[in-house]
Amino acid sequence: MSSRRELWLSLVAVMAITGLYSGVSLRLGVPEARGLFGHSLGILGFALMIATETLYSIRKRATRRVPGRMSDWLQFHIFTGIVGPYMVFLHSAWAYRGLAGIVLLMTGIVVASGFVGRYIYTAVPRTADGLVLEAEAIEQALRQAEEDLREAQGDGAGVSGPALGTGASLVLGRGLLDLREQLRTWLTGWRLDRETRRQAGRTAIAQRRLRDLRRQLASLATARRLLAVWHTVHIPLGMALFVAAFAHAVAAFYYATLLR
Amino acid sequence: MRRPLGCMTATGLLAAVITAVTVVGAAAFSGNAIFSPGDLNGTVGQTPRGGVRSHAELAQDCSRCHVPAWSGERMGDRCLDCHGDVRTEMEERASLHFGFAHPGNCRDCHTEHQGPEASLTRADMTGFPHDRVGFSLRTHPPVGEGGTFLCTDCHHAGLQSFDAASCRECHQLLDAAYLSDHVSVFGDGCMACHDGLDRYGRDFDHQLAAFPLMGKHATLNCGSCHAGATTVLALQQTPAACVDCHAKDDVHERRLGLACGECHNPGTWQEATFEHERSGFVLTGGHLLADCQACHVDRKWHGIPTECTDCHAQDDPHGGQFEVSCGNCHLTTRWSELTFDHAKSRFPLSGAHRPTACAACHAGGKYVGTPRECVACHRDDDKHAGELGSDCAACHRATRWDDVTFDHNKSAFPLVGSHQQVACSACHAGGHYRGTPTSCVGCHREEDKHGGQYGTDCAACHRVTQWSDATFDHNRSRFPLTGAHRSTACSQCHGGGTFQGTPRACVGCHAEPGVHAGRFGTSCGDCHSTSGWLPAGYNGPHSFPMNHGGAGSSCSTCHPSSLTSFTCTNCHEHSAEKMQDKHKEISGFSMGSCLNCHPGGRKDED
Repeated sequence: MSSRRELWLSLVAVMAITGLYSGVSLRLGVPEARGLFGHSLGILGFALMIATETLYSIRKRATRRVPGRMSDWLQFHIFTGIVGPYMVFLHSAWAYRGLAGIVLLMTGIVVASGFVGRYIYTAVPRTADGLVLEAEAIEQALRQAEEDLREAQGDGAGVSGPALGTGASLVLGRGLLDLREQLRTWLTGWRLDRETRRQAGRTAIAQRRLRDLRRQLASLATARRLLAVWHTVHIPLGMALFVAAFAHAVAAFYYATLLR
Repeated sequence: MRRPLGCMTATGLLAAVITAVTVVGAAAFSGNAIFSPGDLNGTVGQTPRGGVRSHAELAQDCSRCHVPAWSGERMGDRCLDCHGDVRTEMEERASLHFGFAHPGNCRDCHTEHQGPEASLTRADMTGFPHDRVGFSLRTHPPVGEGGTFLCTDCHHAGLQSFDAASCRECHQLLDAAYLSDHVSVFGDGCMACHDGLDRYGRDFDHQLAAFPLMGKHATLNCGSCHAGATTVLALQQTPAACVDCHAKDDVHERRLGLACGECHNPGTWQEATFEHERSGFVLTGGHLLADCQACHVDRKWHGIPTECTDCHAQDDPHGGQFEVSCGNCHLTTRWSELTFDHAKSRFPLSGAHRPTACAACHAGGKYVGTPRECVACHRDDDKHAGELGSDCAACHRATRWDDVTFDHNKSAFPLVGSHQQVACSACHAGGHYRGTPTSCVGCHREEDKHGGQYGTDCAACHRVTQWSDATFDHNRSRFPLTGAHRSTACSQCHGGGTFQGTPRACVGCHAEPGVHAGRFGTSCGDCHSTSGWLPAGYNGPHSFPMNHGGAGSSCSTCHPSSLTSFTCTNCHEHSAEKMQDKHKEISGFSMGSCLNCHPGGRKDED
């Protein structure tokens, strides 16, 4: 749970906003983008998106000591990156045309890109402060994990694991592989007695840790390369989004607020 | 060097520039249509405005409505350029847009870019100040504000038109008979009177208006009073004074003024309830029962005098002796019921004066000038025959003659002691009070046991309680009592009641005893004290030093045989032989004449 805290918090926020939006819609009809509620959604959502784009980046480049671990800032970055665009999405009042529609479409693309980026990002082993672990450190951790697994198995058996794949599939296909392994572990453990199942659980954790480290070691170069590629795509998308959104906001203020 | 933000990459900046150029280009190419939030309204008007029949025809020509920032115009100005009729309505009273609409608030009610089929007027019309068009929706609350009325309930042919027939359509269902009567009286121009703020009609409560309907007014047809009134102002200006409608009914021919309501009620003319106190003359007592015309002769209602004597001069039994009004003493119920308060007069009645018949003092019905002095009425009752003057009240209360308030203590002879119990006549014999002596002997001369030897001031020694309660202090006399004299009966010294001239010398009472006879004289006190004859001691003059030769107080040292004789030879070697030899040259020397030459007992005294 803690490793995905930002996702759960984002889900809660999205559900709360959805409930509020539904209540207003049922009582007063679909909130217009120019209305008080719709406008508030747009302004607040855009503010969160700007925070998404800037705060985490500033934190990464901070030379002085800044409160909070890098991972916390990343979680906040993900939280605002989900909730902000969702509010902008509701602000659209389900009308997708002109520049506003393009901005909304770009918002969706950038958010989706963000999810991909996070997936790739988590494939690169890092310390709690977000520092990338080098291969040497991974190998050292790998040896420790093999020792832990032998100790967990208690029978001196081998510590070989399933095939991890090659190339980009090491990074992009790890989710599927993890899911399959978890399913297999669950099906195996279901037939065991309680004590044996507890022992098997400890073994499975050690195996998973070992498997992750092996995969990280094997995919380190690939993951870094994919992350660089993702940055190359994501950042221009984000910049284009913000320029278009800014133009939309200026136009809305000019035509609606100033009655021009 | 500090690293730039992650987004400030070359590709990021390039993407931003490309996007900005694209947006600007698209805006220029589309006439800013890329900023449009939706399609324009497609409703086609009957006549073209600004060269088009619908907003939709403007299509990409945004600048027809949206003004450039530097123009100084507002979008509303462009609206009114085409919708000149609205501009006109803004200046016409009671029109839809009068009083509130201006180029800056068109969007408060109107909208656009909601699609070709959408209404240009906001559906709920929430906040539309309908009262500005001359009719408030307070009694016809619209659906948008929680009521039940739709705009089309009244505006059948469009929001900018209204036909009063729509009023009648609904109100006929409520009360057809009333509506028919109402229309026949006031006409069918509902809006001439009704502004929507009140509920004129079935629920209208005339009682809450400035002229509540009472009595017969409540049964009248509205037109009886409001005939011809076709505006609210005309209704409100309907004259409300009685005379405005009832001048012809005034049987008083205006002699009582125009305020009919002061006497009459709206129910009937006959039940007049004139409040006479309003006239300044409150009817009470017998006046209430009197016939109106007893005072208002010949139905004369104004200028009636209000003084008692104006009507009752012939009833005055006092012959006009009083200058004050009858009402000061008499009630209006009957002449015999008086309110005169003798206590407030200059002669308040008290004691026996209260039950006394008036005539006893006011003989012949004469009240003014009745004397207030006691003797004026009671001269014959004066037991003192004028001896004590004419102010009886100085000593007597008005209750009874014997209820005396005289305070003897304030007189020249305050009564104390036994004098307080003594009957007045004991001192004031024959009822005479003046000249009664104040000295003791004035009354007690006969009782003087001293036969006048102490003068006339008995109080110098006696209290007034009883004669025996004497205050004489023997110690302050010339013979203070000491020792055995204190316990000695007075008569022992003052025999025969004689006090004056009582001797103070001892021998006056104490005869010289035989033992002293002829030897010590009569100054007993030289040797004796008043405590007793013994012990005695000589305290008087002694020609010879009493302590001579250490004799002390032992008289027998020198007086061995008698106090009247002495010898010197008991102590000294005064043998006759030696003394004679020693004094052989002294002429007249003898053994018994030592003191002649030695009066101080000293050797060298010769």
